[in-house]
Amino acid sequence: MSDLALLSVTEAADAFAKGEATAEAMVRACLARIDAFDAEVNSVVRLDREEALAAAAAQDKARAAGAALGPLAGVPMMHKDMYYRAGRVSTCGSAIRRDFVPSVTATVLRRLDAAGAIDMGTLNMAEFAQNPTGHNAHHGDCHNPWNLPYCTGGSSSGSGAGVAARFFAAALGSDTGGSIRLPASICGVTGIKGTQTRVPRTGVMPLSFSMDNVGPLTRTARDSARIMGVISGKDPLDPTSAPEPVPDYEAALTDDLRGLSVAVPREWFFESADPIVVATFEAALEVLKSRGATVTRVSCSSLRAIGTYVAVVSRVEAATIHANWMREHPGDYSVHLSGRLYGGYAIPGTHYLEALSRRGPLLRQFCAEAFAGHHIVATPTLRMRVPTLAETDIDADPEANWARHMAVSANTRPFNYLGLPTVSIPCGFDDRGLPVGMQITARPFAEARALMVADAFQRDTDWHARVPAL
Amino acid sequence: MATDPVPQIEEAIGLWTGVQCPNEAGRRGLEDFCALIKEFEALRGTMVFEDEPATFEAALRAEAEPEA
Repeated sequence: MSDLALLSVTEAADAFAKGEATAEAMVRACLARIDAFDAEVNSVVRLDREEALAAAAAQDKARAAGAALGPLAGVPMMHKDMYYRAGRVSTCGSAIRRDFVPSVTATVLRRLDAAGAIDMGTLNMAEFAQNPTGHNAHHGDCHNPWNLPYCTGGSSSGSGAGVAARFFAAALGSDTGGSIRLPASICGVTGIKGTQTRVPRTGVMPLSFSMDNVGPLTRTARDSARIMGVISGKDPLDPTSAPEPVPDYEAALTDDLRGLSVAVPREWFFESADPIVVATFEAALEVLKSRGATVTRVSCSSLRAIGTYVAVVSRVEAATIHANWMREHPGDYSVHLSGRLYGGYAIPGTHYLEALSRRGPLLRQFCAEAFAGHHIVATPTLRMRVPTLAETDIDADPEANWARHMAVSANTRPFNYLGLPTVSIPCGFDDRGLPVGMQITARPFAEARALMVADAFQRDTDWHARVPAL
Repeated sequence: MATDPVPQIEEAIGLWTGVQCPNEAGRRGLEDFCALIKEFEALRGTMVFEDEPATFEAALRAEAEPEA
């Protein structure tokens, strides 16, 4: 391949392991692409050029010496600017933390380092990860590589845009209401949030501790499987992380959908949905059926309640951890964010606890209704076509844009409340040439199942392999 | 709702937290609370005496796919 920046995670790792490409050459290829195109996309906050080249040289040296290579050895990555690395500024997309230098390194970064990945720097994001479109008044908005006036989705805006633009092979995002899956869908890449507690959050900026998730954005489901295998699993430093053993996600990509039963909820996910999105999603279901899967429409009576409770949990938890800054310098937030945080202080504690207490029973009810006889749940990731940055800018025109802005995450939020593993994969393009995504949700701790279905879909389609013309 | 609840809510937030309404966006957000209150009204009676937050992690494990 002439441009090494076009390699996926597994392709880059394989090329490095076989001696077909050096880590330094792959990093230089990514840097060249960033230099050429990121002025328009604006995905990068901090580019650690020299550090990345030094890390790549170290990997090349280790390989030459015959050292054992990690599963991500030599693979260029960048991450949302909320993963702490000791001694490196982590702005969290904000002005408030413009000079924040953490003293710890996130467990997930340590695990990626140990696997040989090259960390090239940090990426644009919504301020404190708190909007679904990726708007950022402090770093400037990130632009969709498929069509620059369109939004990237958020909050992991730079992660989605940068992976789509082939600036690096993969990026970590975070997902509290859809912030991995939305930019994955809107930028035409693959993104997964695991089961709640599956990936440890040590050294990661919090938003809503009950629903925060760490996960990768990549070109392919196989890439996501490899990264999830590296970053998942119990962390002694994070008492909330799950002790369940982590399966070999890549080994689970068996390409066999015979006997798979797919449930598609009738309620919620298609309310006021754009016909083009629905048609694209239905066509994607046909791909699964062509491989032997069956599709059944099911009723899920709990989604309205989930929609109410999920907003309460995230708003109260976010308001709580931002209280000091909201008292001391609220003017340092963008207008929409301080306005949103403010409402969280008005929700009674009894309602917050009710929302948390109903989570277990509603998960059981959803599983009973959606997974009874079915292996996965499939839905569109967004109900709407990709909106422009202007159409969703609530600082510029809140009256006109508020409803559209909030509708962006309507289909992703329920799975944060339910804690279920969910992958978003590209499943087509709309009439304006912008990506459409499909969510694949599995039972708790069944990330392997969701990834297997996503991988099988990608063997028969090429939506994930298309490259935006920059 | 008979009276505009926003001024009362603003006062309560100030009393409980010391946080003041930062801008019009904050005030507009409180106006949406009438809808949220109605949504909670519709859910009254669904929570049972034994419900508590810890049941969520138990449900995650209980609902896991057997071979996962």
